[in-house]
Amino acid sequence: MARRYDSRTTIFSPEGRLYQIEYAMEAISHAGTVLGVLAKDGVVLAAEKRVTGKLLDLSSAKEGGGGYGGSGEKMFLINSNVIGGVAGITSDANSLVNYARSVAQRYLLQYNQDIPVEQLAQRLCDMKQGYTQYGGLRPFGVSILYAGYDPHYRFQLYHSDPSGNYSGWKATCIGANNGTAQSLLKQEYKDDMSIDDAIKLVLKVMSRTMDSTTLGSEKLEIAVLTYDEAAKKPKAKIYKPIEIDGLLLMHEMSKKIEEAMKA
Amino acid sequence: MWGSQAGFGSLVKGVPSFVIPSVPDPAAFLRLHTDDHADPSCKIKIQHGTTTLAFRYQGGVIVAVDSRATAGSYVASGTVKKVIEINPYLLGTMAGGAADCQYWETYLGVHCRLHELRNRERISVSAASKYLSNLVYSYKGMGLSMGTMICGWDKTGPALFYVDSDGTRLKGNIFSVGSGSTFAYGVLDQEYRWDLPDEEAQELARRSIYAAGHRDAFSGNTCNLYQVKEDGWQFIGNYDITKLHYDGPGEAPGNGYGYDIRVEGQTSTDLPATAGQA
Amino acid sequence: METSFALTGKGYVIVAADTTAARSIVKMKDDQDKIKELGSHLLMAYSGEPGPSNAYIIMPTQPTDPLLSFYSGDTIQFAEYVERNIRLYQIRHLYPLRPSAAASWIRRSLAVSLRSRNAFTVNLLIGGYDLADHKPTLYWIDYLGTVVEVPFAAHGYGSYFALSLLDRYHNPDATLEEGLATLKRCINEVSKRLVVSPDRYKVKVVDKDGVREVEL
Repeated sequence: MARRYDSRTTIFSPEGRLYQIEYAMEAISHAGTVLGVLAKDGVVLAAEKRVTGKLLDLSSAKEGGGGYGGSGEKMFLINSNVIGGVAGITSDANSLVNYARSVAQRYLLQYNQDIPVEQLAQRLCDMKQGYTQYGGLRPFGVSILYAGYDPHYRFQLYHSDPSGNYSGWKATCIGANNGTAQSLLKQEYKDDMSIDDAIKLVLKVMSRTMDSTTLGSEKLEIAVLTYDEAAKKPKAKIYKPIEIDGLLLMHEMSKKIEEAMKA
Repeated sequence: MWGSQAGFGSLVKGVPSFVIPSVPDPAAFLRLHTDDHADPSCKIKIQHGTTTLAFRYQGGVIVAVDSRATAGSYVASGTVKKVIEINPYLLGTMAGGAADCQYWETYLGVHCRLHELRNRERISVSAASKYLSNLVYSYKGMGLSMGTMICGWDKTGPALFYVDSDGTRLKGNIFSVGSGSTFAYGVLDQEYRWDLPDEEAQELARRSIYAAGHRDAFSGNTCNLYQVKEDGWQFIGNYDITKLHYDGPGEAPGNGYGYDIRVEGQTSTDLPATAGQA
Repeated sequence: METSFALTGKGYVIVAADTTAARSIVKMKDDQDKIKELGSHLLMAYSGEPGPSNAYIIMPTQPTDPLLSFYSGDTIQFAEYVERNIRLYQIRHLYPLRPSAAASWIRRSLAVSLRSRNAFTVNLLIGGYDLADHKPTLYWIDYLGTVVEVPFAAHGYGSYFALSLLDRYHNPDATLEEGLATLKRCINEVSKRLVVSPDRYKVKVVDKDGVREVEL
């Protein structure tokens, strides 16, 4: 009986639900955790990498995914003022990232300035929403966190889900264990946090929510967005694996330290 | 024929006349080969772009010109003398066809000298300019292109006349002629007054030619400055317009006429005292 | 001939445009406002290309006549199109376009139109006050879609007289009174030297408090 209402995205169930959308959301809650924290002088994103393993060729990841830093699995530079963190079906995410980059470039071409962050989120949500309504199409199985800067509202953090809803956050989390992370963030978040406080918080939450007991660059991606006062423009940085290890070392959360302690 | 007669052979016969091409319609013949608007591939391109100016004031007449010669979009020369020294008391300026101005103003010089010899006194600026005006008018429609100012000092004091190849002749205090004239007027009109001191008058003329040299593509390179006083004209100097832009006329730099040089360090941004850029 | 001027000063932009609306040799109107207020802190002066628009006395009858594009109706049509689109952006996004973004968008609209069968032949001056960095900004845009940010600008035959004058007298940190005095110099010079010079101008100012009209 359920088949009648969940095989098409465009059909409401008698209870007024769109099952395919809910299934898409479900898919995301199994994906690697991505969390974002807004600070007064920047935004931090962190993500748990799932595609790992001894035999995986990570030689390109050392240089950073696509030259932007990171491994290119969950953190993407969408525009010079926006970093995206994705959770869900990777191939869907790649397609959306590509779309987001095009949208940002088109805005730049038309207005000669970086796209305001909310507008970028809106444009992606317009597309996502379309896939919940037009017949025969599967919704995107992706949630995205947008960490961005624009002169209108300065630093911002947005979240969008497969239904095409989006919202702004001070700190939020998507993917596996997001409930645990959310409540942790709720406890620990303070309004006047600096970017360093935010990084510390992000690492702390990640260390609690990730399945593995210890943090390391092979399972973690980190990105920060700050403002370069000298250049008068936002500065996006997606950490390379070696830089993540350095960061962990600095915050004394490294696996290596723990190993050393044990020894 | 004597060398000196070669150019002015018409004088030998007594009646002034000018050798014209031996074709049925000389004016049409000339138009055919010089009309570079209708035909960009024409053989003869006539110098058109220029800035010249002259003004009368308490201390005499100031004459200033640029030195660029263009043929179409080609800068043919940057060292043209556009002030023609007709005689020690008369200056003529050159705008339009370079050859026409050079030839006819030299020719005018000959007749001014003849007037002196015949009448035992110098020709008035008014009479000299009238002679030129009548002369070019007789060739009207045959392709002459001149816009000139005849400047001098005679019994009436400093005198200035505008004469062009249409036959217009005007007496006045300020004139500027050429493609850059509007830009020169823009500066000249603002600070012109009859009782300008010599120094200020020269500076105003330089600045005006600079303005035209800067804004008009067909004017530029250098500025030649003359002053006519009771005892005749005097050459004040030649000024590189690029140097005027960056350093100004004097030896000491730091007085450049250029906009960017003049307003360096100024800003229109008006940050409120309290607004910090976090 | 249509003439417009604009200049920046300490914390403001002044935009001035003549008020004549002419068709061929006839002055149809002498109090036309050719400066649109595109937003709380954005002004746009618009004028047609001199020459062709005034050269045709006989009305073309076919709507597809290429000469139609030379008509000054063009300028008003384009200005209103811009006005509505800039307003739409503000309604959609709750904040207005910044002056630089507005100028870029307008330039692009003009460039797109230029490549169509009936291009708009309109020259623009965009004056705005950017609340984000407290910078008064001025953009000169011609009918070919050239945009350039400048400290002062002019369109029409008046520009031939005013630009050299502004090179000489314009100061970026001049007070509003000094700026208006410089504008008066331009207007007087054009009245003095231009054969068919406009006799009235409308002058508007944009600064941190927004746009307003001023009397000279």
